[in-house]
Amino acid sequence: MQITEIFSSQLPVGETLSIKRSRFEPTHKKDNLKRISIVSGTHGDELEGQYVIYLLSSWLNKNSSLINGIIDLYPAVNALGIDSITRGFPLYEVDLNRAFPGGKEEYLPGQVVYALAQDVKGSDIAIDIHSSNIFLREIPQIRINKEFSEFTLPHAKELNCDFIWIHDAVTVLEATFSHTLNQMGTRTLVVEMGVGMRLTKEYGVQLLNGILNLMKKEGIITTDEKFESREPFLSEIGEVFYINAPTSGLFVPELNHCEVITKNAKIGTIVNPLDGAILETIYAPSGGILFTLREYPIVYEGSLLARIFGNTDEKN
Amino acid sequence: MKKIEILRINSLNRAPLIVEGYLFEGSNPDAPTVAIVGAMEGKTILPLYTASKLVDFLKNSISESKNILGNILVIPSINHYALNINERFWPLDKTNLNTMFPGYAEGETTQRIAKRLFDAISGYTHGIILENREDLSTCFPYVRLFQSGYEDIKNAKKFGYKIVHHKELRPTDTVSLQYNWQLWGTKAYSVMCPNETQIDMNSSNEVLEGIISFLSKNKIIKYKVLNGFESTVVTKEDIEIVKTPKSGIFIPTKQIGSHVIKDETIGKIIHAIEGEVIHKIVAPSNGVIACHYKNGLIFENAVSFRIIKSG
Repeated sequence: MQITEIFSSQLPVGETLSIKRSRFEPTHKKDNLKRISIVSGTHGDELEGQYVIYLLSSWLNKNSSLINGIIDLYPAVNALGIDSITRGFPLYEVDLNRAFPGGKEEYLPGQVVYALAQDVKGSDIAIDIHSSNIFLREIPQIRINKEFSEFTLPHAKELNCDFIWIHDAVTVLEATFSHTLNQMGTRTLVVEMGVGMRLTKEYGVQLLNGILNLMKKEGIITTDEKFESREPFLSEIGEVFYINAPTSGLFVPELNHCEVITKNAKIGTIVNPLDGAILETIYAPSGGILFTLREYPIVYEGSLLARIFGNTDEKN
Repeated sequence: MKKIEILRINSLNRAPLIVEGYLFEGSNPDAPTVAIVGAMEGKTILPLYTASKLVDFLKNSISESKNILGNILVIPSINHYALNINERFWPLDKTNLNTMFPGYAEGETTQRIAKRLFDAISGYTHGIILENREDLSTCFPYVRLFQSGYEDIKNAKKFGYKIVHHKELRPTDTVSLQYNWQLWGTKAYSVMCPNETQIDMNSSNEVLEGIISFLSKNKIIKYKVLNGFESTVVTKEDIEIVKTPKSGIFIPTKQIGSHVIKDETIGKIIHAIEGEVIHKIVAPSNGVIACHYKNGLIFENAVSFRIIKSG
C-alpha cells in the first residue's frame, strides 16, 4: 500500500492542507489492471464513508495476495471540513459537491476538487460515499443519474445496498463529482447511507461486503470467498413519497427508521415544548418502506421528515 | 406606498420570519415596472442598506407621488434570521436561498421561501437583485449578467456603473434568482455590491445612485439624475486574475478602482509568524483593479486581485 498526497496547499499560519490517497495494487505489477476509486468526506459532516474505507483498507491489508487490480482510497476530500464539523469548505462556505470539475486557476475549493477529479480520472469505477446530512437518516442506497444508468446500474446491483434510486438529469447536478467523472468515462456511483456526524457500524459492514462483491465480479480481487449481495429494490418499480413538515416545531418520531409501514400509520408528531401542545400529527400517505427518517428534531415548515418508498397507485 | 406581506415562516423558538415588501404604485399604467430584492443572505450589509435607503428615497425624496410612473416593489431583506445572527445562509440547514429558484411550494423550507418570493416578484418588467460576490473578495459596484440568452446588456448600462460583467453561465447558476427571473420574462440584473462589514458611504451612495439612475432612465420614476459611467462590457477574456503563490498575511497596497501599470507593486504577503515580506504582488498588465481579496489571511494560490485589462 502506498500513500500519496494528491493535493497540498500551504495555509496562512504554520499548516499545510493535504489531501491523501492510499493505493493498493498487486505485488507483481501487471498491465491493463482494472482500477476502482472509493471517495468519501466531500462533505465535512459525513463520516460513514471514513468507516467503510477503514474496513476496506484493513481487509486489503490482511488479504494483499488477493489483490488483482488497483484500489485507490480517498477517505477525506474535505479534510478541513471534517476536522471542524463543517459540511462545506471552511471559510468559503462552498459545497464541494457543487464545485466540480474545478480548475487549477480557481479558488482553493475549486483547486481541491480539480485535483481529486484529475487523480480519479482513468478509473474504471468510482464510488462516492455520502451519509445524508445531520438531519436525516438513510438506508444504504445508490443514487444514479438516468443519463448514465445503462452503465452504472449493473454495478449498483452488486453493492449490497437496499435501494437504487434512479433520478432524472438536473442541470445543477452537473457540478457534482459523479456527473463529472461519469462524463470522463469512469462509471461512478453515489452511495447515501446512515446519518451525518455519526457512524452506523452495520451499514459500514454491509457496504464493505458490497464493495468486495463488486471488486470480485470485476476481477479486482480474486477469491473464493462469497460476499453478501442483497437484492435492492429499484425506484422505478414504485414511488417515493416525501413528507415535509406542515409547521415548525419539535419533531418526535413514532416509528423506527427502515420499518415497513401501512398507509395512515402515525409517523410522528410536531410539538411545542413551551405549552405542551401537539401542533401536527404526521401520518403516512402510503404504505411502504420508511427509508428516510428525520434525525434532527427541530423543524421548520417544509423540513423533510421522512420518505417512503411505496406503491405508485397510492401517490397523492 | 403600501407595505405588503410577502411571506411568513413560523419558528419554534424565534419570532416568525415576516418578509415585507414596499409597493410604490405608479401613476402611469403603461410605464415599465420593477421589483428590487435586497439581502437574501446574511452578511450582506450593503444590499440591505441600499434597499432600505431606496425605500426612504422613494418615500421621502420624490416630491410628488405622480413622479413615480411605474410600480416599484422593494423587498429590503428576505433572510432576517441569518442577518440577525451573522450567518450567511439559512441558519438551520445552511442552504443558500439563491440556489433554490424558482422554488417549490411543497418542498424544503428554503424552496418554499423561494417560491413565495418568486410568486410575489413575477410579472415585473425589470428585476434588480442586490448581491455580494460569493467568493472572499470585495469589489467596486458593477452589474453581473449571465450569458443566458435572455440578458439585456443595453439596459444594464443604465445603472452607470464602471462595468457590466457578462459572465458565463455555470450549471449552478441555473437555480439562481437572476436566471429564473429572466427565464420567466423579467429583465433581471444582479447589482454586485462591495463586500463590507460596515457601511462605507462612498460605495453605498454609488450603488444607490446607480439604481436611481436606472429607474430614471427607464422612465419608472421622473427624477433628474447625473450621468454615471458609460459602462464597459467585460467578459472573461478582459479580466486578469492575479494569484498569490504564497499564503500568509495579505496587505493590498492599491485600492479598488485604482489604475495600475504593468509590473507595479499592488500588494504584499507577509510571513504570518516571522513578519517578513515573502511575496510582492505585481500587476501583470495595465488596467483597473476591480476586486481584491478581503480577508487578512490568504491561502496559497488564492486570487488576490482581479484587474480589468486596459491599453
